[in-house]
Amino acid sequence: MTLIGAYAVVAPTITSLQLNAGAIAPEMAVLIALLACLVVDLAGEGVASRWVPPICYAGLLSALVLLALQWDAPLEPSFLGSFLADNLAVAFRAVVAGSTLLSLLISWRYVESSGTPVGEYAAILLAATLGAMFLCGSTDLISIFISLETLSVSSYLLSGYMKRDARSAEAALKYLLVGSAAAAVFLYGASLLYGLTGGGTGLDAVALALKTSETPVTALALVFVLATVAFKIAAVPFHQWTPDVYEGSPTPVVAFLSVGSKAAGFALALRLLVGCFDSFETQWKLLFTVLAILSMTLGNVVALAQTSMKRMLAYSSIGQAGFVMIGLVCGTEDGFSAMVLYMAAYLFMNLGAFACIILFSLRTGSDRISDYAGLYQKDPLITLGLSLCLLSLGGIPPMLGFFGKIYLFFAGWADHQYLLVVVGLITSVVSIYYYISVIKMMVVKEPQEASDAVKSYPDITWSVAGMPSLRTALVACVLITAVGGVLSNPLFNWASATVAGTPMLQRAIASALPVALG
Amino acid sequence: MSIASTAQFICFAALSITLVVGALGVVLLPNIVYSAFLLGGVFLSVAGLYLLLNASFVAAAQVLVYVGAVNVLILFAIMLVNKKENLAAIPGLALRRVLSGAVCAGLFALLLRVDLTTSWALPGPEPLGDEATLRIGEHLFSDYLLPFELASVLLLMSMIGAIVLARRDVLVSDVITGEPVDQGLIEKERIPLLLDRSALESSLLEKTP
Amino acid sequence: MVPALADLTPLISAAVTPGVVSPGLDLESSFSAALEGFGFTPAAAHLLWLPLPMLLVLVAAVVGVLVTVWLERKISAAVQQRIGPEYAGALGVLQPIADGLKLLVKEDVIPAKADGLLFTLGPILVVVPVILSWLVVPFGQHLLISNVGVGIFLWISLSSIQPIGLLMSGYSSNNKYSLLGGLRAAAQSISYEIPLALAVLAIVMMSNSLSTVDIVDQQNGAGILSWNIWRQPVGFLIFWICALAECERLPFDLPEAEEELVAGYQTEYAGMKFALFYLGSYINLVLSALLVSVLYLGGWGFPVPVEWLASALGLSPDAPLVQVITGSVGIVMTVLKAYALVFIAILLRWTTPRVRIDQLLDLGWKFLLPIALVNLLVTAGLKLAFPAFFGG
Repeated sequence: MTLIGAYAVVAPTITSLQLNAGAIAPEMAVLIALLACLVVDLAGEGVASRWVPPICYAGLLSALVLLALQWDAPLEPSFLGSFLADNLAVAFRAVVAGSTLLSLLISWRYVESSGTPVGEYAAILLAATLGAMFLCGSTDLISIFISLETLSVSSYLLSGYMKRDARSAEAALKYLLVGSAAAAVFLYGASLLYGLTGGGTGLDAVALALKTSETPVTALALVFVLATVAFKIAAVPFHQWTPDVYEGSPTPVVAFLSVGSKAAGFALALRLLVGCFDSFETQWKLLFTVLAILSMTLGNVVALAQTSMKRMLAYSSIGQAGFVMIGLVCGTEDGFSAMVLYMAAYLFMNLGAFACIILFSLRTGSDRISDYAGLYQKDPLITLGLSLCLLSLGGIPPMLGFFGKIYLFFAGWADHQYLLVVVGLITSVVSIYYYISVIKMMVVKEPQEASDAVKSYPDITWSVAGMPSLRTALVACVLITAVGGVLSNPLFNWASATVAGTPMLQRAIASALPVALG
Repeated sequence: MSIASTAQFICFAALSITLVVGALGVVLLPNIVYSAFLLGGVFLSVAGLYLLLNASFVAAAQVLVYVGAVNVLILFAIMLVNKKENLAAIPGLALRRVLSGAVCAGLFALLLRVDLTTSWALPGPEPLGDEATLRIGEHLFSDYLLPFELASVLLLMSMIGAIVLARRDVLVSDVITGEPVDQGLIEKERIPLLLDRSALESSLLEKTP
Repeated sequence: MVPALADLTPLISAAVTPGVVSPGLDLESSFSAALEGFGFTPAAAHLLWLPLPMLLVLVAAVVGVLVTVWLERKISAAVQQRIGPEYAGALGVLQPIADGLKLLVKEDVIPAKADGLLFTLGPILVVVPVILSWLVVPFGQHLLISNVGVGIFLWISLSSIQPIGLLMSGYSSNNKYSLLGGLRAAAQSISYEIPLALAVLAIVMMSNSLSTVDIVDQQNGAGILSWNIWRQPVGFLIFWICALAECERLPFDLPEAEEELVAGYQTEYAGMKFALFYLGSYINLVLSALLVSVLYLGGWGFPVPVEWLASALGLSPDAPLVQVITGSVGIVMTVLKAYALVFIAILLRWTTPRVRIDQLLDLGWKFLLPIALVNLLVTAGLKLAFPAFFGG
C-alpha cells in the first residue's frame, strides 16, 4: 500500500492506470511459502524438517488453485505492461508449479539423508519456481531478465547444494560460468532491442520497432536473444552444460531443472520469438529447425553410450527438447497445442522416472545403469514405474508420451515440416532402443546375474519421514503417465484452450494462415 | 570548436582509451591482482562516460556499486585465496589462444560492420540532468515495479544461498532418523581439477621422508 | 594503472563546468570580467578560472588538517595532563608544519620486494577521493564549489573508492601485516558504508533532495529547533559511529592497531607517501565532521536565524551588510560545528578502548544495519503521518 501511495505522489499522471496486481497472486502464494520456510528454518533443523514440507505444499497448491482461477479471465496487462496472465502464461506457470511440487515431494528423503539443510533447500527451489513463473508471463525485457536471473541464480545454488560432493561443486561452477555468459549475451541483445525502440522495454514496443527497422542490428539482436533461449532449453549446440550439471547436481534438482526450467525456457521462446520477432519468422524458424534436428540427433545418439542413469536422462532431455521444438517451428494452432501438451506429459513421465531413480539411489547409493540389473526380483515398484515412464518417454502406445509425440509429429506433418518429422521419427526409434535396454536390464536378468547393488538390496520400508511423499509422487506420476494416454481428451482440450486463450499466439496463427494456404 | 566541446572530446578520448586498454589488460594480464585493479579502473572510466552523458546519478551509482562493492569483493576474494598453485599445463594452449582470439576478432568485425551500416537516430534524447534521479525513482515505482520487487527476492536468495554454500558446518547425521549421512549420495574424495597432479605428487613425495 | 587516476579528471572538470558552479556570489563572472579587462578572451578567462576552485579546496583541506593535527596534539596532551607541542610557534601552532616539512624531506623508500607501481598508486587513490568529496560541502547558501544534484550521494560513492587504495597499498607492500591491515580496512569500510548510507537516506527522504544545499535549507526554518538532530537522533548516532569507523579513528582504528598489526597498511610507508595517508585520514575526519554538521546540525545556520535577528534590528535581509554578515556567520558556524565534532572525536580517542575485529563487524552488521533500517522505516512512516514536521 505504501508503494502505491508513494507512486501516486511522484507520478500523478499515471495514477489512472491500474496495477492489476491480482495477476501475480499465484506467485505471491509461492513467495509467502518461501518466506515462511526461511522463518521456520530459524527454529532449527528438526523443526524445519517437520514444518517446511507442509508449508511448501500449501504454497504450491494454493498457487495452482489461483492459477486455475485465472484461466480464461479477462486479459489486462498488469504492472503497467510488465506482466500478462494469458492462458499461455497460466498453462506454463502451472507446469512449473507442478514440477516444483513433484520435485519437492520426491526430494525430502534425499535431502535429509545427504545431510544438507532442508529449509534453505526448499526456499531456494521456491525462488527458482518464482523466477520461472514470472518468466512465463513477463512482457518486458527488464522483467524477463530479472526473472531469468532469479531462476538461473537459484539453479546455480541448487546444483552446488551438495557441497561435500566435488562433482556438485564442479556442476555449479560450470553452470554459473556458462549461465553468466548466456546472461551477458542476452543483455547485449536486449540492449540492442532497447536501442531500436528508442527507450521502450515492453515486448510490444520491441515488436513494433522490429517491424520498421530491417537493419543488420535486428538480425544480431535475434541471434543473441535466440542463443539465450537455446541455452535455457539446452538445445544443441548450447547444451554442453547439461550433462555435467545433470550428473553433478542433486537428483531432485535435476528433476526440477529438466522440467520446470525447461518449461519456462519454452514460454520465453514463445513470447520472444512468436510475439516479438514475428517479422523475422523465416529466419528464426530456419535457425530453430537446425537446432531441433541437431538436438534430436545428438541428444538421442549420445544417450545410447551413457552408463550413468542421470547422464542418460540428461541427453534424453536434450532430445526431448528437440521434439518440442517441432511444435515451435510449425507455428500453427496444432503446433502450439502440441507443445503445451507435450510439456505437460513430459512433466509427469520425466518426474516419474526421476522419482524411481531417486528411490533407487536412496536404497543403493548408485545411479549406474548396470546396477539396475535384476531389480525386478527385489523391487517391483521401481521396476514397473521406471519401465512405464521410460516407455512413455520413448513414445510407446498407449502411454501419455505417445499421444504427445504423435500430436507433435502430426502438427509438423500438417505444416509440411517433413524433414523435422522424419528426423524425429528416426531418433524416436533410437531413443526407444536405449530406454528399452534399461528396462531389459531390470526385468530380464536372471537372479544370479543381478548386480552387487541389487544383491545387497535393503528391505523395503516406507515408514521413514519423506518416504511416503516420495511414494505418493511416484505412484501419481506413473498412474497419470500410464492412464493419461487413454484418457488424454481433457489434456487435449486444455492444450487447445491454452492456445485459443492467448491473443499473441492467435495473432501469429492468423498471420501465418495465408502463407500456409498459398 | 568551443572550449566546452573540446574539453568534452578530450575527456571522451581519454576515458575511452582508458576503458579499452584497461579492459584488454583485465583479460590479457597474467597477474590476476593487476587484472582486478584494472577492472576498477575500467568501472571508473565507465562512470566517467556516464558523467559525460550528463547522467550523474548513474555515474555515482556505478562508482558506488561496481567500484565500491563489486570490485572490492573481487579483490577480497583474490587476496584471501592468493595461493600459488601448480596448475596443470593445458594442452594446445597456443592454438586455443589463437582460436579464441580469432573468434573475438570475428565478433568484433561483425559488431563493427553492424555499427557502421546502421543509421542511428542521432542525437539521442535530451539528457535530464539532475531531474534524472526523480525520474528513475518514478520508473522504479511505476512501470518497473515488478522487476524492482523481484530483484529483492533475487538478492535475498543469492545472499542466503551464498551463506549456505560457504558455511563450513555440515550435518553429519540424518535429522529424522539420526543415522549417519548416506555416503552413497555424496562422493568421498575431492579431486583437484586444475592442479598439476604429477607436480603435486612429487612434492608430496619430497615431503615424506 | 596510471590511467586510473586520469579517470578522476572528468569528475573534476564536470564538477566545475559553467552552469554547475553556484551563481550566488558569482566570483567567476567578476573574475572573468577582470581578466577580460586585461584583454583575455572569455574562453581563456574561463580556462584560467577552472583550476581556482580546486586550488581553494586543496588549500582549505590542508589548512583544516594542520589545525586538526595541532588540536589533536594539544587536546591529547591536555587529556593526559601534559603540555604538548610548545616551542614551534606560539602554543606550538607551527608544529604541524614542522611535521609536514619533516615528512616532505624524508627519504622515499620502496621496499625491495614491493610492487612499486601499486605501492605508489595506493596512497594517491586513498587521498584523491577524499579531497574530491569537498566539492559538495556547503559553507553558505552559495558558498560551495559545486551544487551538484546528486550531492551527498556523490560523497558516499566517492568514499567507496578508498578501500581499493587501501587494498592496493596493503597488497603491494609485500608484508603480511600490511595485507591484513588493508583487508581489515576494506572490510570495515564496506561494512560501515551501508548503515551510513541508510542514515543519509533517512535525511534525504525528509528533505526530498540529495543536494547538500537543499538539505541545509530544509533545516533552517526555525533555527536550532529545526535541526535534523531532533528529528533524527538515532540517525545522527548511526552516522557519527559510521563516520568514525570510516575514518578509522579510535575506537575503530583496527586497521592500524599497533599491538596486532604494527601499523597496518601503512607499515612499509615512509616520507611523502606516508604523509598522504596521514593527510587523507585527517582530511577525511574534518570532512566527516563537516558533513555531520551539514546533515544534522543545520550546516551554516546560526542557532537563531540571522534573518530574524536582522528583522528584529530593523534591517532588510537583502541589505549588503546583512548579506556579508550572513555569509561570514555561515562559514564560522559550519567550521565551528565541525571542529566541535572533531573535538569530540579526539576526546573519544583517549576515552574509549579499541574494539576487537569480530566485535567491530558484529556491531556493523548485526546492530547498526538493522537499527538503520528501522530508522528508515520509522522516518518513512512519520513522513506520511506528519508531513509538516518530516518534510512531506
